Amino acid sequence: MAESVDPVVIAIVAIYLIAVVVIGYYSRVRLKSAVDYYVAGRRLGSVVNGLALQSTYFSPASMLGLPAYIFLIGYPFWWGMMAIVAGMPIATLLTAAALRKYAPVSFADYYADRFGDERLRWWIGIIVIVGSILYIALSLVGMALFMVAILKMPYLIALIITTVITMFYVVYGGMIATSWNAAMQAVVMTFAAIIAAIAIVWQLGGFEGVYYAALKSYPKIWNTPADAPDVPHLLSSTWIAVIGWFFVWHYGFATMPYTVVRFFTTMDIKTARRSIFWCTLAAGAFYVALQLIGITSKYMIEKYHPIAVAAGGNMTATQVLATIQKTYGIGTVTDYSMIAAVEALGNPVVLGILCAGGLAVAMSTAAGWAVVVNTIIARDWMVKLLKSKKAEERPIFYGRLVAFIFLLIGFIVAIQPPALVLDLSGWAFIVVICSLGPGLVLGLWWKRATRAAMWITAIVMFIVSMVAWLRAHLVLGHHARFFLDDILFGNPNALITPHQVWTIPVGFILFIIISLLTKPPEEERVQKYCVELTKEV
Amino acid sequence: MPWPPKVFWVGLLIIYGTAVLGWLLEATVKIQKIPTAQIWYTSIWATFLAPLIVSWMYFYFMERAEAKKAAEKKEVS
Repeated sequence: MAESVDPVVIAIVAIYLIAVVVIGYYSRVRLKSAVDYYVAGRRLGSVVNGLALQSTYFSPASMLGLPAYIFLIGYPFWWGMMAIVAGMPIATLLTAAALRKYAPVSFADYYADRFGDERLRWWIGIIVIVGSILYIALSLVGMALFMVAILKMPYLIALIITTVITMFYVVYGGMIATSWNAAMQAVVMTFAAIIAAIAIVWQLGGFEGVYYAALKSYPKIWNTPADAPDVPHLLSSTWIAVIGWFFVWHYGFATMPYTVVRFFTTMDIKTARRSIFWCTLAAGAFYVALQLIGITSKYMIEKYHPIAVAAGGNMTATQVLATIQKTYGIGTVTDYSMIAAVEALGNPVVLGILCAGGLAVAMSTAAGWAVVVNTIIARDWMVKLLKSKKAEERPIFYGRLVAFIFLLIGFIVAIQPPALVLDLSGWAFIVVICSLGPGLVLGLWWKRATRAAMWITAIVMFIVSMVAWLRAHLVLGHHARFFLDDILFGNPNALITPHQVWTIPVGFILFIIISLLTKPPEEERVQKYCVELTKEV
Repeated sequence: MPWPPKVFWVGLLIIYGTAVLGWLLEATVKIQKIPTAQIWYTSIWATFLAPLIVSWMYFYFMERAEAKKAAEKKEVS
């Protein structure tokens, strides 16, 4: 192994961690009530909230997963990345402003109030728990991979260390600490990605060098389904697949609990709208940088990575990653490709900044989901549904306990992740959006949305999306294959539907049909939670 | 029935218009094969500039409408 621990990398990461502790300490001083813990006292300004939104929304699935996917299938995913960032402004008027006007504490509050059924908190909680476990696990995987890059230690030990760090960070800070830290983390991770991208573009001699480097690694990378049969990969071989990749993450910002709760933390509706502008600014820059790193990572690893150079330049990028996997015991080593591309630059300052940014992106996402899940369980389930006096008297203690338990579960899943980090995030997105998205969006914008539709859609689409993803993944070999391909068409590759994204329109159609077939909601409720909230958003 | 403001639809047109136009140009004239072209139209424009412009429109025009309404209310009272 040609790699060794670099003190410059460690020093840069140490500076970042000290900043996290300092911000966490001062935030903790301000943590006085449950509202502070859950929604940061509703006093965040647009820049802090916007940056916190960006770092919470973007996870290692973006920072590591996107380049890893490009590495794996040689398809640039640029339209999909555009869709993610473009989903942010759409959320401004679709859900963010209205939900800030409503000002709840928990993600489940709106559903319980709009549809007049407290029991909805049970089922929403179960769906959120699935999303939380997947996201906390992928965040811990990401942190551990960066820790491997920093300290050159075995993956399992790196995972233990990062889980402990995240536990202290989340358990003691709550939403105030995670908000201020998340804002700082947004700056660090965006800056890190931009610096790494500039270094790579510089090394390759500008955009033209990037273009030809990508072409050299993947001769079909610039092809589309119109070039069939010379498509980049089976998973991007049809326009249905290309459009599917566009929509997988597109509506997440408007409907996923870990971003929706950050609409509650702003001072007012005006700040909520403006915060999305700042979020979009940082997010766009971050993704442009990641796209450039992603398409060049294979070329960079094969030409410049120390392991490839030590082998006389005769190793493929896959062989380099296999060597890293064997050395450190990493489960899904493709997720390491982005780090390896930056390692190839041979610049410890850039690598140090990238690792600090990587820890930032993972910590903020793990923290965001931990706060969401502890609000659902400690407040919605224990206080609202089970009427627990203990939980009501000591909300912060129980919130922390739940966060601790879920970080522990995430740790266990992260030991041997079931899929790449981008796959885990795509799965969480689809499961949550198709089952809870229709109720949120149509509940706000459609007077006729009914309680029965909410229940049926949440239950049916949760089960359908889980079964479809798992069957495609386990039986057909990849989640991007339509789960009934073999039964309906006799060919597992007949229809490519990334992450079973078809479940989102199906969920909306189901919701509309059930609403039209069932008793309309009470006029008073519609006026309060639909008409009033969407007026002048 | 609640209905989003006009500016919302203009934003959607910019976003989905960009994607659909991009796909059409890629499928027909293979615009992506011009060296570095895709970096500019998907990355710099579609991923960075277009969403940023739309997010600016969504707060700027909403605030302007609110200010106008507040001024009208003041005049009436």
